[in-house]
Amino acid sequence: MCCSHGFISRIPTTPPPLVSRQPHFSIPSTVRLPIATRTAKSFRTKSAAAATAVKDGSGSVSETVMEDLSFYQLLGIPETVTSVEIKQAYKQLARKYHPDVSPPGRAEEYTQRFIRVQEAYETLSDPNRRAMYDRDMAMGIHFAFSSRNHLRNDEHMVKSEWRGQWRSQLSELRRRSMHKESG
Amino acid sequence: MIGGIENRILLVSLISRPGQMSQEQVYTVASDSDTTGDERSSAPFPEIAIGIDIGTSQCSLAVWNGSQVELIRNTRNQKLMKSYVTFRDESPVGGVSDQLSHEYEMLSGSSVFNMKRLIGRIDTDPIVSQASKTLPFLIQTLGIGVKPFIAALVNNMWRSTTPEEVLAIYLVELKALAEVGVKRPVRNVVLTVPAAFSRFQLTRISRACAMAGLHVVRLMPEPAAVALLYAQQQRQLSVHDSGSEKVALIFNMGAGYSDVAIIVTAGGVSQMKGLAGSTVGGEDLLQNTMHYLLPDMENLFPNKIKSMGILRVAAQDAIHKLSSQSRVQIDIDLGNGIKICKIIDLEEFEEANKEVFEKCASLVTRCLQDSKVNVEHIDDVILVGGCTNIPKVKNMVMGICKKNKIYPGINPLEAAVRGAALEGALAAGVNDPLGSLDLLTIQVNAHSIGIRANRDSFVPIIARNTTMPARREVVFTTAHDHQTEALIVVYEGDEEVVDKNYLLGYFKVVGIPLAPRGKPEINVCMDIDASNMLRVMVGVLMPGEQNPVVPPLEVRMPTADDGNGLSADVLNRSFGSTLDLVTLHNKMSR
Repeated sequence: MCCSHGFISRIPTTPPPLVSRQPHFSIPSTVRLPIATRTAKSFRTKSAAAATAVKDGSGSVSETVMEDLSFYQLLGIPETVTSVEIKQAYKQLARKYHPDVSPPGRAEEYTQRFIRVQEAYETLSDPNRRAMYDRDMAMGIHFAFSSRNHLRNDEHMVKSEWRGQWRSQLSELRRRSMHKESG
Repeated sequence: MIGGIENRILLVSLISRPGQMSQEQVYTVASDSDTTGDERSSAPFPEIAIGIDIGTSQCSLAVWNGSQVELIRNTRNQKLMKSYVTFRDESPVGGVSDQLSHEYEMLSGSSVFNMKRLIGRIDTDPIVSQASKTLPFLIQTLGIGVKPFIAALVNNMWRSTTPEEVLAIYLVELKALAEVGVKRPVRNVVLTVPAAFSRFQLTRISRACAMAGLHVVRLMPEPAAVALLYAQQQRQLSVHDSGSEKVALIFNMGAGYSDVAIIVTAGGVSQMKGLAGSTVGGEDLLQNTMHYLLPDMENLFPNKIKSMGILRVAAQDAIHKLSSQSRVQIDIDLGNGIKICKIIDLEEFEEANKEVFEKCASLVTRCLQDSKVNVEHIDDVILVGGCTNIPKVKNMVMGICKKNKIYPGINPLEAAVRGAALEGALAAGVNDPLGSLDLLTIQVNAHSIGIRANRDSFVPIIARNTTMPARREVVFTTAHDHQTEALIVVYEGDEEVVDKNYLLGYFKVVGIPLAPRGKPEINVCMDIDASNMLRVMVGVLMPGEQNPVVPPLEVRMPTADDGNGLSADVLNRSFGSTLDLVTLHNKMSR
């Protein structure tokens, strides 16, 4: 870490092992991905796979789960933490990963990290959304980074959250009944 | 295109974007042989950027001097310099170096000012048409959605210019002054901008800087600059107590714009909770007061410029006096037998400007609602900008915030430029041993960004007050059966009716497979990166398939240029609703 950025970037933190688990971050920072590749990748992993997962509740769910960390893992906190602790964890990670404190040439990488941390924080710091997220996790459907964004337009949010919830319940029921029939 | 400089600028294609360093060419307005940037980019330490506050009526410069922020004074020992450029036979001069013998000189037709109100606006904009009626230089509007024609009177002849050119000329003077002040060549700058500015207007500011040989390190919303200064003060006050959070509401009202921000800060880390801006400012108060003094002013004057100038100075003077006294006597001769002899009291003034004050109040209220911060939790109310000296404005903000004491530690006229200078040092990675630069601000965007869909609706993709950097996506679908192409029209703003927002650009997505309407998934993703650059990415997916059908498109915004109002009409005429999109979840709910 570059020390010319002062205290903020020098705060010792124990971040979750983002680099090893996230395919997006393993790219050498000096090499900029060709734009089309990056875009195609994001469409496939984030929206298509997640959308498919929500729709048919099939095998792609577990694929998505395997690929992303939970919001708790992202913030490096246990699932039992209080909202004060969530805020503290977020601020510590912001000091570390906000692109404004990134070492020269690594702004893009830091941006990606920060966006994930932000998403996790926004979800977990809102009691309703955290409860929803916890329920989803308990059911094995965990919406990682960005997968819910298209449902999050403010006026549609409540309804859509509910619909997503309802749909995942439906698919869970279907999965169980299929299980029963076959078993 | 109007104006020679603009033409040449387009040829060298130097639309400078914040955050993109050093590779662009330098265009200089005045002679400026010494600054090419190359020699400095190889320097071991990044250059500390100068902070510039370009106000509608006044400008100022500041720089981090190694231990604190210092304002740079001009040769007349002024920290605040009038924002205007006078065109003459020889070369134009701006308010940095020029000495006015009297205010009327600025109102003689040869000076152009209020460029910050005019820059990046089209001739259908009410701000422009209002300005064309009351400012003492030429602003010609055709009302068709293109850039207005602006000209200054030189030897009794109208000479055309542009807001960008005027600003660039002024910036060249500021640059020269800064170089004297810091005793080195200056290239990097941090500028404060109104929160109300659209992204298109931001590109105009960057362009004016490039024309002046300056590189924009950052364009900071004015309240964000003030917030930085506040965060620094709070950090110094609570070195041993980094846990306690302070919530501040910042209200800024200058001559051209008003903005509000709500910030939560602790231990040097600040989170912006809300940011809002509006084109309402002292200029509106001035024009309303002029109208009040002479309701028929637009039709009365044969020798318009001189009479307008006299009226303007009188109204300005009255507003200033009404900040400290309850009534003011006006006694002016406008020529042609028109004399105004009137006493105007505070109540009349406030009544004449009721709408302005209401707009300010609703801006503050909206920002509070957006940020979900309860007024009871506000620790400090910070008032900046010349207009916050007006009793009504002060009382309005303090009333909404239920506070009776204004935060004392901030100079209302210097806060923005000081914050910009701090940011200039932070962006250069300067490390202060005392820790006064250990600051991080997590910012939000002031306006929603989205596309036209569901006929004429604006569908936000990145909502206002989203933390930046950000990436969001919304899935759309086709509006017609067998629709193979779709038009993506990107807007910025907060109005539901799409064309009340700013058009940022447009492009067409082709190669959508033949399918019933509602089936193809058009995924529109927007991304604002660390340097506030906006990219729009669009991919077409068919349900059940993993890969986009055609290579996704990525477009940097804004792409629209000066004729943006006109092009929205043309698009509408040419394509109607044939290339429309609708939101996918709207389809599902049917």
